[in-house]
Amino acid sequence: MFDTRSGALPTSAAGVPGGLRGGWYPFWSAAVVAAAGIVVAVQALRLPQADEGVFKDRGALTDLVRFILPMVVATYLMSDKLLGFYLASGAYVTYYAWVVARYRWYWALLGGVAIPLIVYLVFEVGFKALLPKSVFYPTTPF
Amino acid sequence: MDVLGSLAGGFGIALQPHNLIFLLAGCLLGLIIGVLPGLGGTSGVAILLPISVYIAAANTPTTAIIFLAGIYWGALFGGVVTSILFNIPGEPWAVALLFDGYPLAKRLGKPGVALSSSFLASWVGALFATVLLTFLAKELADVALRFGPAELFAVFVLSFATLIGLGAESPMKAVMMVAFGLLLAAIGFDTITGEPRLAFGQIGLLSGIGFVPVTIGLFGIGEIIASADEAGIGYVEKIAAKVGLKDILETLRALRQRIWLVAANGVIGFFFGSLPGHGATAGSFLGYGLARQWSKNKEDFGKGEISGIMAPQAAADASAVGSLVPMLALGVPGSPTSAVMMAGLFIWGLQPGPLLFIDHPDFVWGLIASIYVGHFLTFLICMTAVPLLALIMRAPHGILTPFIVVISVIGAYSLNNEMKDVAITIVFGIIGYWLRKMKYPLAPLVVALVLGDSTERELRKALIGSHGEWSIFLTSPISAVLIALAVILLALPLIGQYRRRRAGTGATPSAHA
Repeated sequence: MFDTRSGALPTSAAGVPGGLRGGWYPFWSAAVVAAAGIVVAVQALRLPQADEGVFKDRGALTDLVRFILPMVVATYLMSDKLLGFYLASGAYVTYYAWVVARYRWYWALLGGVAIPLIVYLVFEVGFKALLPKSVFYPTTPF
Repeated sequence: MDVLGSLAGGFGIALQPHNLIFLLAGCLLGLIIGVLPGLGGTSGVAILLPISVYIAAANTPTTAIIFLAGIYWGALFGGVVTSILFNIPGEPWAVALLFDGYPLAKRLGKPGVALSSSFLASWVGALFATVLLTFLAKELADVALRFGPAELFAVFVLSFATLIGLGAESPMKAVMMVAFGLLLAAIGFDTITGEPRLAFGQIGLLSGIGFVPVTIGLFGIGEIIASADEAGIGYVEKIAAKVGLKDILETLRALRQRIWLVAANGVIGFFFGSLPGHGATAGSFLGYGLARQWSKNKEDFGKGEISGIMAPQAAADASAVGSLVPMLALGVPGSPTSAVMMAGLFIWGLQPGPLLFIDHPDFVWGLIASIYVGHFLTFLICMTAVPLLALIMRAPHGILTPFIVVISVIGAYSLNNEMKDVAITIVFGIIGYWLRKMKYPLAPLVVALVLGDSTERELRKALIGSHGEWSIFLTSPISAVLIALAVILLALPLIGQYRRRRAGTGATPSAHA
């Protein structure tokens, strides 16, 4: 790992120790990450810790989970042969506006219909960029 | 003059109707992105990068880069509006505008003057920088053409060193981010031997981790998770703002008194921005510091002094223009935003770097000319449309946030039509949020990820050429100088720490956090 000379030119025979084969560069990158990480950890431990912790309270953490989890679920459902991009994104926008932002249900629904519709017009029709379709395709156009 | 002829040709391209339309669209989108807190210029460019692929396919890459650059210029102007009117920076580079912009608007009751002086300074500062870019970019590229692997590797090392040495709050965290970026870039096939590595048997990982989904995740998704966490963004204090003729006249008078300050900041900002890795944000703080240093009445700063608006804004815009220099001349991004633009160049099939001037002069000069046009257009829009821009702040958050998620997903997916990239975006969105919260700088990560493959290739080419002797980096005079500069830059934070430790005992480093 240290000797660059023995194998500066990659040899075709595998298993030659040392030298610059594919793993040399990632190894040293990772070594630097680890070394710098140790220094950062030591520095952090030597400083006085803040009292309140990383999150203000439990509420902040649950808010975060309530934000991230639906996003992960929605993007998973956007895959081909599941709900597809348009249905899943519409559901996600509606959910977010209604449940998280506490809009009235008809405004939330309006957003959930309008955004996928605009995206459909711009991407599918305008740019001819095809996004993942639902399991109902081609019965429905999305 | 050769340069003027090329520039005229560039104007011929930039002023073609379709290029003008995309420039205008870019500037407008940039303004909107800039005004919206939680969406920055870098994320704006990253999210719209996939759209630029279609623009490049339907027109030329020149149109695409003009569009992306327009977003950058628009965001530069737009970020300021909320800083001045609402005391909320729409962009990191608008933070320095809080110090004097908001007091001038609120306490002295001159929002029109505050806005117009920032717009005017942006434009004038950028103008100086663009003139410098016009005359220096080609010269730099000619020098860069003589660079071999050793010199190029030294340039990359220097750009990582500037990211670590200057501006970073915690240099070690920056080191970690650079190495992490290099490591991520190494995933997939080894560029020299063709060996698969770090793929852990996953076929999807063999093609590597693309920097576009990562950047969209880190900046687009990461920023909205962060703002969902911080909350409180919904609160907006209304200040009626309109730029009237009287304000413009007062601003012009103010500019006449400060023209040297603005010019100096334009020039300094340009050179500062052309250091790899630094964009508008650092430039803007530098400009504010310089204006204060040079001012005779320092006590006016922080109370609505116009110099405190004009200087940082001129420097910020000039740095943004300057950050295009290393991209065009060396193939090294000058700022996180230009790193994303550079990613665009790769995707459109162009190799950023000095050969652009020879192989694609239309592209380079069209871009340079569009900077003149774009800044002027944005300036005009800003002067007339301030009330509208202020309205954007009231866009409903409950729709906007999921909309950004949706757009980010489209951006990640449509590059290769693969859900794998969407997964990468979401994962890096969460990682980006966490890194942000833990105060890790994201710029080094993105720049290292973009440069990772080239860095490795040049390093190993140099070592192959020298039969494994590291001395190659010191025997070539150019690379020796660059490496020496890098070492000095890396030593700067250590010297600073040493000084602070000697100067006082009371201040803990966390006080700056």
